[in-house]
Amino acid sequence: MRRLLLVAALAALVLPSVALAHANIQGTTPGYRERVEAPPRAIVLKFDQRATALPGAIEVRAASGKLVPTPARTRPGDARAVEAPLPRLSKGAYTVRWRVLSVDGHVISGVYTFGVRHPAPPPTEAVGASGPTTAEHIVRWAYFLALALLVGGLGLRLLVVPRAAPAALERRLYAVTGIGVAAAVQIGIAAFLLRADGVLDVPFGRFLYADLQPIETGSRLGAAFIAMTLGYVLAASFLFLAWLLDRTVLLWPAFLLALGFASGFSISGHQASGPDSSWLSQLADWVHLSAALLWTGGLASLVLVLWPTAPGLRREAFSRFSRLATALVALLLAAGIYMSVLRLPQLDDLWSESYGQVLLVKLGLVAVALAWGALHHFLVRPALDRLAGEGLLVRVQRSLLGEGAVGMAILLVAAILVDTKPPPEPAAPPAQASTVAAPPRAPGGQPGAAGARRSRVLAGRKPATAGGLSGSAPRPPSAAGRAPRRASARALRRSTPPLRRAAPRP
Amino acid sequence: MRPPAEHVHWLFATGFLLLGLCLLAEAIVGVDVWRRRAWRAYLWPGAIFLVGVVMWPVTLASAWSPVHMFGHGWWAQVAMVAGATQLALVRGKLTSRYWTLMVPLALFSSGAATLLHDQGSWLFARSQFVHNLAGWALIGGAIFPLGQTFRPRSWVFNGGFAAVIIAAAVILYTDRDLAPIFGHLSPDAGVPRR
Repeated sequence: MRRLLLVAALAALVLPSVALAHANIQGTTPGYRERVEAPPRAIVLKFDQRATALPGAIEVRAASGKLVPTPARTRPGDARAVEAPLPRLSKGAYTVRWRVLSVDGHVISGVYTFGVRHPAPPPTEAVGASGPTTAEHIVRWAYFLALALLVGGLGLRLLVVPRAAPAALERRLYAVTGIGVAAAVQIGIAAFLLRADGVLDVPFGRFLYADLQPIETGSRLGAAFIAMTLGYVLAASFLFLAWLLDRTVLLWPAFLLALGFASGFSISGHQASGPDSSWLSQLADWVHLSAALLWTGGLASLVLVLWPTAPGLRREAFSRFSRLATALVALLLAAGIYMSVLRLPQLDDLWSESYGQVLLVKLGLVAVALAWGALHHFLVRPALDRLAGEGLLVRVQRSLLGEGAVGMAILLVAAILVDTKPPPEPAAPPAQASTVAAPPRAPGGQPGAAGARRSRVLAGRKPATAGGLSGSAPRPPSAAGRAPRRASARALRRSTPPLRRAAPRP
Repeated sequence: MRPPAEHVHWLFATGFLLLGLCLLAEAIVGVDVWRRRAWRAYLWPGAIFLVGVVMWPVTLASAWSPVHMFGHGWWAQVAMVAGATQLALVRGKLTSRYWTLMVPLALFSSGAATLLHDQGSWLFARSQFVHNLAGWALIGGAIFPLGQTFRPRSWVFNGGFAAVIIAAAVILYTDRDLAPIFGHLSPDAGVPRR
């Protein structure tokens, strides 16, 4: 028997060669996001098996949206390559959209960008990519809620509940945090695929076989998606082991992983991709989000987990959470004010810009939540210390539910806010005043890309604004290069209000 | 730097082969003898849970298409869930024997995901043949862990389950390219790559 097994294993080991299904792209010329100094003579797509060029198989567009004529064909002498000769390209960024027929009958599609003596924008800002949809807002909100359940539940157990907790509390806490981490992984995948769908802009049937590699490897969206998914899978593993082995200490790595990988939003959001991005702005973004998740998630866990399962711990837990919430709110406000000043240097941006208007709604909800929290901290907590009856505790539960509902609403507005573009930086001080208003800017910062924007609007799609998992877009640098520093920008805005109003927004 | 896909498949195939051999040993000597060492009870559930965790980087690297990502992501998740429930049963955290139904469910749905992840007729090319074989082997093989739920000491069900895992390992080792299988059956399948 042993000999037979050994022979079977060896026979299996000598068989392997190449693992394939339908055609996969192996490489392109120019490469993904490659900056070339000399204009390429042709676009070449190399596949791992035979691919047939369909009509219009390769479509190249300049940043203005102008179509570059590219008659595509299967490369003579190499059935695995499709090429499209190019006319001489001028300086700028270009988007390549391609589709070929794989031998198994599936149409494979893809999109990538390159630049001729110009940086190539990420594929999330390719010409024709659409912006975040309502479905993406909702998915992102669900993502925030899942993270809040995970982070808040673990935070409650580790920071608020004493070391020995009732079994019923433990069971429900593991259930809630387990749901949170599983949902975070699933919704994260859904969010990535929805964004990829907007970038690829192909029908669903073709999207299933579309190439995701440029989006995953060439954008902040992809980096954040990979990091967060792996982080939450590890957090799920630690959570499971903590439950299996009854080791609360294993919740710490799960908690730290969940908190740490929430920074995926920060490395892919406004603060990371904007021209003023710095480690401080990304840190502020992460602190802001982490504090919000811990606060709202902790509140939800307090009401949904601790209140029904551990009546004896209610007073103590409420008191401890109240103290924790005070610190979290302080962090939340400090980071939030810093980021607001960074993104909206002018007060009137709050009502004149769509970003400011959404922020205003969020600030209103935060004010309500803060007032509610202050009521709990300054009135309810001392009253609970004084009074022994259960009646107040029942009313406190309802009140906490109300505060938690406001917290959820804040997360919804936050999900919309990260999709909304902050006002662009004013242009650099021009040599001649008349040129300030003239040059339009476009996603990715390609000069003259307003045409691309127009073409997308004509096609009935929202222009792309997403540069990250948060769906946020980097603020494009000005046509003259990178945006000026904040101080000079303010000075310019003050000195040239009519020109600023006249300038089209990307 | 992404390793070649075939190397990753071989790695998982080796894991499955070892797992299958352990299950086969358990089926041959019986559960009582196998579990004389307590840690052996945790061996296959722990291994399958670990396979699920390790499958996640593969899922994220499978960005050739969403359908690849769906397939690999599904296998990662069901492996983790099946392993986790078995570990919990061994540990006593779960007590109902019906939790063992997670294993046949995992096998069945993994087979379905395999078929969806690379559709095509059986004899179109070797890749399609192997995917169809793997998919239907997993779907059909789900009968063995299903039987284990109700007859946990049955040699047939235990041995059959081990055979399914070994078969999955062998399938993972085999060619999955466009070469024709059993002769040149489709002109579209192209020429062999070797």
